[in-house]
Amino acid sequence: MVNYGGGDEVSALVVDIGSSSIRAGYAGDDTPKAIISTSYGYKQAAQSSDGDVQMSETTADGDAPTEPTKKKDTKMFLGQHGPSIWREGMEIGSPLRDGLITDFNPVPALLSHALVDVMRCNPSEHPTLVTEPAWNTQANRERMAEIMFEEFQVPAFYIANTGVLNAFAAGKGSALVIDVGQSMASITPVVDGFVLRKGLVSSPLPKLVHANARHILANPTATRAGIELYPHQLIASKTPVESSAPPQYALRTDRMAGTTESWRVWYENREVDEWIQSVAGVLDQGWNDQAATLRPPRQYEFPTGYNAYFGSERYHVGEQFFHHSQQLVASNPNLPKTIPALLSDSLRGCDQDLRQVLMGNIVLTGGGSLFAGFSDRLENELSRNFAHVKIHAPGNPIERRYGGWLGGSILASLGTFHQLWISKEEWQEHGKAIVGQRCK
Amino acid sequence: MAATAADIRSALSLPTNSAAGPSQPQPRKSNSTNKKPEGISRELYALIGPSAPSLAAQLAKPRLKQKPNLGGGGKVKWEWRSFKNGARSDSLQLGHWVKATTDPSAEYPFEKYNVKSTIYTYSQDEYTRFLDDKEWTKEETDYLFELVRDYDMRWYIIYDRYEYPDGTPRSMEDLKDRYYSVCRKLIRNRPWAGDETSKIQLISSFQFDKDRETTRKKYVASLENRTQDEIAEEEALFIELKRLEQSERRFKKEREELLRTLAGIDSGLPDVIPDEDGPASLTLEVKKKKKGAAADLETPTTPSNIISLGPPVPKRAQSVKSAAQDAHHCIVRTDPPPATTPATKAAHTPVHLRSFKLPAPKAAIAPKVAQLLTELSITHTRLVMPTRDNCAQLESLIEAASALIDTKKVVDKTEQDIRVLKVRLGSRASEGADTGVGTPMDAEGETEGGDAEGEDGRAQSVVSTKSGRGRKQVSCSCTYFYIEFLKPNVPQSRRSVSISSIDTSGSVSARAGPKRQKRI
Repeated sequence: MVNYGGGDEVSALVVDIGSSSIRAGYAGDDTPKAIISTSYGYKQAAQSSDGDVQMSETTADGDAPTEPTKKKDTKMFLGQHGPSIWREGMEIGSPLRDGLITDFNPVPALLSHALVDVMRCNPSEHPTLVTEPAWNTQANRERMAEIMFEEFQVPAFYIANTGVLNAFAAGKGSALVIDVGQSMASITPVVDGFVLRKGLVSSPLPKLVHANARHILANPTATRAGIELYPHQLIASKTPVESSAPPQYALRTDRMAGTTESWRVWYENREVDEWIQSVAGVLDQGWNDQAATLRPPRQYEFPTGYNAYFGSERYHVGEQFFHHSQQLVASNPNLPKTIPALLSDSLRGCDQDLRQVLMGNIVLTGGGSLFAGFSDRLENELSRNFAHVKIHAPGNPIERRYGGWLGGSILASLGTFHQLWISKEEWQEHGKAIVGQRCK
Repeated sequence: MAATAADIRSALSLPTNSAAGPSQPQPRKSNSTNKKPEGISRELYALIGPSAPSLAAQLAKPRLKQKPNLGGGGKVKWEWRSFKNGARSDSLQLGHWVKATTDPSAEYPFEKYNVKSTIYTYSQDEYTRFLDDKEWTKEETDYLFELVRDYDMRWYIIYDRYEYPDGTPRSMEDLKDRYYSVCRKLIRNRPWAGDETSKIQLISSFQFDKDRETTRKKYVASLENRTQDEIAEEEALFIELKRLEQSERRFKKEREELLRTLAGIDSGLPDVIPDEDGPASLTLEVKKKKKGAAADLETPTTPSNIISLGPPVPKRAQSVKSAAQDAHHCIVRTDPPPATTPATKAAHTPVHLRSFKLPAPKAAIAPKVAQLLTELSITHTRLVMPTRDNCAQLESLIEAASALIDTKKVVDKTEQDIRVLKVRLGSRASEGADTGVGTPMDAEGETEGGDAEGEDGRAQSVVSTKSGRGRKQVSCSCTYFYIEFLKPNVPQSRRSVSISSIDTSGSVSARAGPKRQKRI
């Protein structure tokens, strides 16, 4: 642990729940100790023989009536050996939708897996800081506090905003945080460690990019047929084929029947994500057919053995972040806003005097912002429209992906922060209202 | 140096033979006592002997730098100790690692950073007496003060979080105005323990001008909303302004130097009387001009009578008396350049000998003028007596000569045009008759043109030449030139001049026609 001025480690835990992964670790560290998938597998019937991950049935008896009945006989598969392993009849679920926790039932099990099974610590001994998206609801944060106090018996609790934490991770008190996650892209103006709610904007833009990539892959083009996205768990054998040649593979027919739709969709999405991460990109100077064709094509091989070179189409994917074509806008009125549109919306909601400050302190964060060429393009777009733009985009992918956790790690290890914890005593005395009062 | 047997023996480390041979010299005692140390060649040792400096000290094994002793050397004992934060109102005990030597009863070191800003509060009585405002209810004012307390007067945040149920929408200026005015009223009306100045000082620290702030924000907004073009234009204007300022500065400096030289303040010329009010009035005038027309800054005009040497003092000084004096002393004053001439270095003529400024033809036509004058057997290169009159006459001669050459050019060009047009006419006619004979006709036309030139002779007037079908008309008037020389050394008899031998045709080729025409 690094000792620095103003720091005072009280061995607090920091938990950051995101759309793709849950990050947990000790405050003061620079990397989370446990990173587990937010998605989890579950089976309705309990007769499965895969007993490697225990189910969550530790809820107190008093809470039982409020829990859905499904939970009692549900077996959950969490973490590294959870959703990514094929099991007969296993469905995939996620507690989050659009960055917000919409289903609290699996949350205790997921947190317990991260804290107890992976980190091997006892949450009742550590004050715990949990993050929330800037558009979180009051009910959600109160529920989170309730889970932490009642189920994990933490001595103290605090819930902090990811926008603020990302600004802290970049070493800034005031910043304009552009956070591109797995499901949501958001722009949060932060001033003196507080979120300006009037300037907060978000849109499910990454989902659109994902859907666009899937569309490009699955639909046949002039030169190739639609690509099958079978995950490798469903493929019995394959033989190498030439580039762009039809794949030769045999499916595992024994598994096909037991595969649930949700698992398959989840895994195909993973395949698409992998393709995006290794092949897709965005041009740094706006869309230009010639520039796109000039870039070298990239080869990618799918689990079926099909492999192809992807040329200019790989740049269509990234373009969705910044610009939507006229026909797309016309055909889809509820299209998520692009990054430049979000930015102008956000600035419109802020005071005139603040714009200079915010534009000079842009923090780019989130795993989605690691998209190839994203920060260059953003810089070009911004410097074209604004006078003094400075973008802070950490080059270290860990810092970029887990910026919210890192900010929480910094915050929870500050000596001056320890007066802000909501203690168990305060929770019992004031109840849920204390969360809104303390965590502004 | 020859090796002895003893040397070989020692080299081969053989035992020394007690029965020394005849060639072996008697071994010296010192040799046996002093062994040659290692690392020195034998020859060297033989030269310097046992007094060789010992390398032992340097060859000794180096000792490593001593490790720094960082305080105490003993182990530091740390212990996990739970502590109570004085800034907290509850009994939460958190734990941290501290050195065992620290005082457990000491207060938490970060407690002192928990600073609360003092926010004014008011009672119901105070509110009804001083703070009543028709725009604000007491509840809303309370709400505002609560927010100010919560967010430590961070107005951006207060404005962002301000959500008073069923309240009128408030701008940040409204909120600030209300808060500061309440504070001012409270300070003014409460009993004050200190002196009056500190009270006024405190009140002034709560001063807030709402209108001014609103206007400022409007300005900022308009500044932000400029288009790219407007910004570019503004930048260009700014650069232009800088440039003007710079050139004005430079000009000012040059003018000052010039003034100093010309007014004779530094040079100390006896005849020149420095103009007392000259520089002063000048600067005044320049200042006026600066205010009047900023666009003229680059070429500001100044009264030229000060700059030019001609009459060093203003005209009014040149009275009848001085004129008479000039006549008496044969002083001729050149005319000052017109007042509109820019007073730059180029316009100023310094004092010179007349013979230095003899008129000369323009460089471009100088050789032709020389040729012409040679043909007329006039020697213009050396003026024996460059009097004022002679100079004037020479100048007029050269002017006349260059005018003549210009005219010749025009004549030649026109003739060439006529030729070309004739050829074209001829080819057109032949085209009508027979298209096959275009080329011979061209050639014919050209020869004809040549003939025509020969026939026309010199200095002829071509009044007008109409093309065959009347479509084009070329007209040119060529004037006869009559050069009159008043100079005595020029023969009067030869007045009409032949310029036949002057070659101007080179510059009046048909190809270069349009360009030249324009200039004419």
